This record gives sequence, C-alpha cells and structure tokens, in this order.
Amino acid sequence: MGGGAPLLAIALGPEGYWWANLLVLVSVYSLLGLSLNLINGYGRMFSLGHHGFWALGAYGAGWLTVALAGTLPGPLVFVLSCLFAMGVAAAGGLVIGLPCLRLRGDYLAIATLGFGEIVRIAIQNSPRELLGGAEGLTVPRVLMEVGPETRAAYRLLFVGLGLVLVVLVAAAIRNYVRSARGRAMLATAQDEVAAGLLGIDPTRSKVAAFLMGSTLAGLAGAVYAHYQGNITPLEFGFMEMVKIFLIVVLGGLGSISGCVLAAFVLLFVEQWLGRLPDSVGWVKEWWQVEYALVLVLLMIFRPRGLLGPRELTDVWRAWRGRRAAAPGRGGGAP
Amino acid sequence: MSLVAAPLLAAPFPAAGAGVPLATAPGAVGFFEDLLPFLLNGFGLGAIFAFIALGYTMVYGIIKLINFAHGEFFMFGAYVGYFCLRDLELERVALPGPLPIVLDFLVALTAAAFAAGLLAVLTERLAYRPVRKAGRIAALLTAVGVSLLLQNVAMRLWGAQARAFPDPKAWSRVADLPEVARDDWHRDVAFHTDAGAEILEPRVEVAAGTRVDPALREALAARGVDHVYRTVTLDRDALQAFVLLALLLWAPLLWWLVKRTRMGKAMRAVSEDPDAARLMGIPLDRVVAATFFLGAFVAGVGGVAYIATYGKVFPLVGFLPGLKAFVAAVIGGIGSIPGAILGGLILGVTEMVLPFLLQRLAGWEEAFAWKDAIAFAFLILVLVVRPTGLFGRATREKV
Repeated sequence: MGGGAPLLAIALGPEGYWWANLLVLVSVYSLLGLSLNLINGYGRMFSLGHHGFWALGAYGAGWLTVALAGTLPGPLVFVLSCLFAMGVAAAGGLVIGLPCLRLRGDYLAIATLGFGEIVRIAIQNSPRELLGGAEGLTVPRVLMEVGPETRAAYRLLFVGLGLVLVVLVAAAIRNYVRSARGRAMLATAQDEVAAGLLGIDPTRSKVAAFLMGSTLAGLAGAVYAHYQGNITPLEFGFMEMVKIFLIVVLGGLGSISGCVLAAFVLLFVEQWLGRLPDSVGWVKEWWQVEYALVLVLLMIFRPRGLLGPRELTDVWRAWRGRRAAAPGRGGGAP
Repeated sequence: MSLVAAPLLAAPFPAAGAGVPLATAPGAVGFFEDLLPFLLNGFGLGAIFAFIALGYTMVYGIIKLINFAHGEFFMFGAYVGYFCLRDLELERVALPGPLPIVLDFLVALTAAAFAAGLLAVLTERLAYRPVRKAGRIAALLTAVGVSLLLQNVAMRLWGAQARAFPDPKAWSRVADLPEVARDDWHRDVAFHTDAGAEILEPRVEVAAGTRVDPALREALAARGVDHVYRTVTLDRDALQAFVLLALLLWAPLLWWLVKRTRMGKAMRAVSEDPDAARLMGIPLDRVVAATFFLGAFVAGVGGVAYIATYGKVFPLVGFLPGLKAFVAAVIGGIGSIPGAILGGLILGVTEMVLPFLLQRLAGWEEAFAWKDAIAFAFLILVLVVRPTGLFGRATREKV
C-alpha cells in the first residue's frame, strides 16, 4: 500500500486519525474487558491482577519481536510474538492461579492485585538490555514501515486487526459459555459445592476460566505493544486494572456486547475530555476531576451496567417488542 | 557573630529515604548494629501502616467494602497537617523546651484527624450510601472512582509537585536570646519589594557559642529579623518513637470503643448481620457514618506521621501506603482490629528487614529496589498458608 499511504493520511484527516486511535484502544480494552469478564463475570472470581497478564503479554511480545525482527518475515514475527505473549501470560496465570484460586472473594482479589504489582515492579527493575527497565521497551515495527506518511495507514491496519480480533474472541467466548465446559464453569460460579456434587470438577473449571482470561489478556498486550511501538511499565499500573474492571461492570457483568460498548464509552469520554482545546478554560483544566466524577456518577446511577446484564441484541429486541406491543400491555425489559 | 550566606533551600530533614541502605561494613561484625536501624524503621513504618489499616479493617468489618479511597483520606489528613504546621506558627508560644514543637504536632494531628474524618463522612453520605444496596462490586468501583476523584482534586488544588514537609521549629525572639547562644539559631529572611513580591535572602545563622551582644541584636533587627529558630528539631527516630507511642495509646482506646461502648456494640451488631441489626432498632446509617469517621480519623493521624517521617507530601502520597495498609489488614485478617495492628507491624518490619537480610546474607545487591515486590510476595505467601489472614475467621461452608 506504499503509494496509497499518503493519500490515505490526507483522506483520514486529523479527526479521522483521532478516531482511528480511539478505535484501536477500544479494541484492546475490549479484549481486556472480555477476558476479565471470563474471570470476574462468568467465573465470579474476584481478580484484580489483569494488568499483570496484560503487561506480561505486551513485554513477552515485545521481547520476542526485538529478538526476531529482521530474521523472519514481518507478519510471521507478528503472529509468533502474539502466540508467545499468550503463552507467557498463560504461564503467569498458572503460576498465580494454582495456589491462589482456593482463596475466596476479597482475599483472591488482593492476592492477584499483589501479583499485578509484582509484575510491574519486576519489569521496572529488569536490566535495560532485556526489557528496557523503567525507560520502556521499543518494539520494532514488523508489519510495515512507519514514517510520517504511513502513520495513518498503520493506525487503520490496527483498527481492522483489532476489530477482527474482538469479533473472533467475542464469538469464541460466546460459544464456550454455551458449551458443556462453559456451563460447568457457570455452575461452579453459582455454587461450587453444588457443582461438585453434580460431578463437575470445580478446581478444573475455575483454573480453565482463569487461564483463558489471562491468555486473552496476553493477546491484548501483544496487540497493544505492536500498536504503541514503545511500552513502559507505568502504562500497566493499577489504574489500568481499574479501567478494565469498570469496563466489565459498566458492560454488565457477563455481557459480551455490553463490554465492548462500555469500553467505547469509557475511552471516548477519557480521550474526548483529554483533548479539549485550552480555550474552554476550567473545563479543560479540571478534566481529570471531571473524568473521575463521571465514573463515580456512572457507578451510582448505573451500578448494574450501562444496559444491565443484557446483550445489545436483547435490548434491541425489547425495544422493538415494546414498540410493537399495544400500549398498556407492559412487558419488555425490566 | 556570623551572617552566613547558605543555600536558599535547606532540606528540612536529612534526606534519608525509606530503605536507603546504610554504608555496609564488610564482614558480619557489625551485623546487628546494622540491622537495628532497619528494625526500628520497620516498626515506625509498620505503626503507620497499622494506623491506616485500622480504618480499612473497621469499614470492611461493617459493610464488607474495600474502601479504596481510604488512602486519600490519609492524604487529605496529611495536607491539613502540612498547612497547620506551615502556617500556625504555634512555636511562637512562649513555652519552655520542646513543648512548643509537641504542641504544634498535637494541633496538626488533631486537625488532620478531624478533617480526614469529616471528609470520610461526606464521602460515605454522597457516594457510598447510594450504592450500598447495589452490590459489593459496584461499591468497590465507586470507592476506586472516589479515590481517583480525590487525587485529582488534590492535584488541581495543591499542585502535583511534592512539598517538603515543614519542620516544626522552636522559635525565639531575638530579644530573648541569652547572652551566649546555647544552640544554633537561624532564619530565612524575607524582604518585600515595592511590587509586593517576596524575595528570600540568604539565611541568617547564629552559631552556638556566639556572643549575642547588643550589636548583633541591632544588626539582626536592621535586617528585619525579630525571630530566629533552632536548627535542631525532632529527628526521625524521635518521630518514629512518637508514632509508635501514639499507636500504643490509640489501639487500646479503639479496642475499648468497639468492645465496651454502645456505638461499638452497634458496630459489631451491624457487622454480624445488617438487616437483623436494623430490625433491632440500630440506626444503620449512623453506625456506618461513625465507623467511617473513626477509621479516617485514625488515618489522618497516620497521614501526618507518615509525611513527617518521610518528609514530603503530594497528591498521590496516599496511594502506595494505602495499598500496603490494605495488604497489612489482609495479612492480619481483615475485619479484626488486633489483626490490623499486628499485620501493619509485620508488614513494616518485613519490608525493611527482609531486603536487608537478602542483601547482606544472600548477596542480592538490588534487594531494596524490589522491596514493594517482596512485600506483595510475602502477602501471597501468607494467604496461601492462611487463606483468611492471621486473625481471620474461617467461614464454614454450609451445604
């Protein structure tokens, strides 16, 4: 697409460029939200360590890309690094999941939170030639050359890539939840003892959910690392964990489309407030306060999620049903 | 006499950060002498963790909420203490010896504690009460949102940069100085230009042993100096001892409040079963508000103690101590008051002593850079061995 790239940048314009960035971030956070949804939403395991798996994935992909760049064709390196990232994150999930999954509720939350912080501190203190340490790791661009003219094309490429991945992952999760194993996981989440009595192995389905969640977070990390081109440990702090968790809750625990919608809303509010022009005065100066206020108000007024624990399709059906129904018949969504 | 020009910004405290390794003497001869300061620092830090953990554990015990904004109550208390110590100048009160400093600290601690307590009550009323019925995860995320909100408000109001904690100083009027100065005295001299801007001049210093004759007094008066202060004030060790002492006094008081008073009884009842407590006529909202107040009150004390010991205050100052204090509360068994105190002390000592041991005995040079990771690893280890903390109640599974 070499010749078309500058034209693409012009056609995109600064506005489109901003939207492309937003969409890539939305797809990365959607992946994170969907994967955390497996653990916190379907699995009802209270994990606060997702930023750790995300960081493991990003740094795993970054490390392999640095090692392989130039020796193999770019797309192959990209795919290999994604797989490697998933493997690293899954290994992390196994290391922390096996001993900790017998913890309950808030104790699991704080143990996984500790894990996430340990990962960040370890990366921060790593030797510079290995993972970049506190200064960050530069990930070579393997998919295409990125210059001033091709930046727009690169963003568009990741918009497409991100959307495809989100759709694939969402479909996979939807199918898994409806499968026998998935139903076993839901039953375990409902009541571990009862599920055990039904012949389900609770440990196995909990570990499976936790592992799938961490693996997918690793994939999100790989996409993020390749998109950003430079990653620092500070980007994977506890506040990111909070953001992911908010996405899951605002999406309605256990809702797939709600998760993507919540990722979009949250990131849009954040990015939009963050790029307000200076001319708006205090609105700009206080934007971080306003962002936090929006989060608190959303939690107070929509504690069960933007749409509640429903899918967009349910909402659509309910809305159509209400229109079709004669007034006074009631029904529709609660 | 000496009017010595010194650098403008004299560091108010010896910049001894937490966990800066002391000069390590080779060999194991001075091992225990080297270990001792780390142990003491550990207890000092642990006492502060314990102060914060108390609030976490009380709130959790009653409404099962991990109050992530607790670290921000701590931060708010620290700022209020900072402003008190900076602006009140109670040191000018004519009292003998170190009493002015102590008075200063007590006023700052009280103001900080009440301010933090009121902020907590306000937060509970405006943000937590509306979501109390909405489930624990919604409440938890509201708490995180409030934490973010308070951090950002502090950043807008007081700036993101760290402020050096003002050292409470014993002031003396130049006229009252004895004939021969027994201590070092000094003063930053401020002049006002016509435009009203304040210019800080180099420091005036009167070294110990200087003859304070009328000529010196006049020279100082001519420069606009009527008060000077001692250079020697409370040091870190004294502060840490003070914090430990305060904890030793506070802990039985809290214990008594919870075990022996009507309100304490109500708190325990709500903790056992909120709905049943309500049916028995216990005013749930008031009990929860009182718990928040008490927890944040203690955190405010911890906030002043923390920044007085570690020397600076900034909007994010509550984040890491808050997280660690929560870890401490979990190690002790969340919901248990003795557990919070013990957990705080254990975590503080672990964080200081374990890296030291790893450095000295295992030869791991960078152990101190990893001290936070070591603290979290210790947490995971404790939880794996005792899944509900040291003092936690194990809940029986009912089928």
